Amino acid sequence: MLKNFVPKRTAFGLTRFYHPNPKEYVPQLTLPPLLYGKDSKQYKILSHSLDVSVPEFGFNERAIVNSINLLGYPSSILSVIGSSNTPSFLHSSTALMELLKFNLVAKRYQLSEDIPLDTPVEELPSLEDLLIKRLKMDVPIGPHLSQLIAQLSIPGPFLTDTSLPELHRLADDMIYFSSEKDHPDFAWYAKRMGVSTAYMSSKLFMAQDRSPGYVDTFEFAKDKLKRIMKLGDYYNNAEEYAWYVLMNSINMAKSKAARG
Amino acid sequence: MLRLSSVSKVYHVRPFSVLSSLKASTAPKGGNSHKGNGSHHVEVKCENMDEAQRAYLDRVIRVDQAGELGANYIYAGQIFILSEKHPNLKPILNHMWEQEIHHHNTFNTLQLKHRVRPSLITPFWKAGAFIMGSGTAFISPEAAMACTEAVETVIGGHYNEQLRCLNNQYDLKRTDGSEGQSDEVKSLMSVIKQFRDDELEHLDTAIAHDSRKAVPYILLTEGIKAVCRTAIWTAERY
Repeated sequence: MLKNFVPKRTAFGLTRFYHPNPKEYVPQLTLPPLLYGKDSKQYKILSHSLDVSVPEFGFNERAIVNSINLLGYPSSILSVIGSSNTPSFLHSSTALMELLKFNLVAKRYQLSEDIPLDTPVEELPSLEDLLIKRLKMDVPIGPHLSQLIAQLSIPGPFLTDTSLPELHRLADDMIYFSSEKDHPDFAWYAKRMGVSTAYMSSKLFMAQDRSPGYVDTFEFAKDKLKRIMKLGDYYNNAEEYAWYVLMNSINMAKSKAARG
Repeated sequence: MLRLSSVSKVYHVRPFSVLSSLKASTAPKGGNSHKGNGSHHVEVKCENMDEAQRAYLDRVIRVDQAGELGANYIYAGQIFILSEKHPNLKPILNHMWEQEIHHHNTFNTLQLKHRVRPSLITPFWKAGAFIMGSGTAFISPEAAMACTEAVETVIGGHYNEQLRCLNNQYDLKRTDGSEGQSDEVKSLMSVIKQFRDDELEHLDTAIAHDSRKAVPYILLTEGIKAVCRTAIWTAERY
């Protein structure tokens, strides 16, 4: 009966699932949307690729093959790594698609793994801290960022099923695990959109940044986030003022009508 | 059947089954190091919900939040029009409004806690509900009560459907071998039960205040019921 409720496509990341209270359930064996957990061979090879091979070879199949050889696995495991992706004319190999996906998913989990769920709000990191933390994770692969962004943004199923949903999940995680106020109405979408924009523009800046230790990128990201939050304040103030004027006008009209 | 005594034995085997993670988490962390301590405190946990169950709960919270927001704004619209023209109705409307605000706040908290996205067209629900409440109140107080009657009838039925589904489809295996709903599903059910009863109380109040004398009664109630059903369909998905 319930199977009708499983969404068939992820529809630009709008389709979400209820997040159960992890304390009531056994720990998950996989890191969704990846089909394997931290103990798996796939995780070991791909994380080794990101740490060791990608800084040397960039985001291509040679990086994965190099890690497979260094870790002593048979080369046939390359097809196991890419098995969850559909081959695409727009991408060179399914294993590489998995490496791109892994780069996004594993770093998103790393962002919040040292923040316990019952942390009091006042002890949570700020949104800016988390944004900078996530950008710093990409410092080792900095010279290959433009290659990564180019492959992630090729129009096609990979963009709509993996890249965009992961971007939205990242923005959602940053807001949920930070001390930032969250909203039960349309502002929920506006804030996530703003954070995604700040993150992506900082990432594009980082791809061309030649400053030592990417200091300019971090300054740019902080400034961008502040500007977006200011934009939210402008909107809230305008709305509050419009509401005040509306109520004032109604009361004026009522008092006029009462006087006749 | 999974028994605690057998858990530590099967821990290292890690069989390829849905329950393998259940067994893994119940094994005492220190293994045999707690000598002399005969009883280990083992926390009972449930197997993970599948995607369909999580997708349904996502819809439940989104649609209920949007529904309670609508109810909140409908009463706000009614009070806005009726509080001066018919002050005798003000305490009754205020009582119902306060309950709706409490319902709305409860679902807001659940939505943020369980990271469910709110309905995409929330601003439209706010405006539409306020117009529906103030529009019917503008016709007559009886029309406003007929609006309440129609809305609460649909919401009551909708809550009952959700309760049936939560009752039937959420039996999860636990690490102590038993089966049943997890605590959070039970708590959600008790919230929905309480709110359904409140909504049905509002329905009775509306009937007691002459909702059936509204003109045109059938057109109003059936029209509003159709609007509510369409809104439920939409809020579940978008």
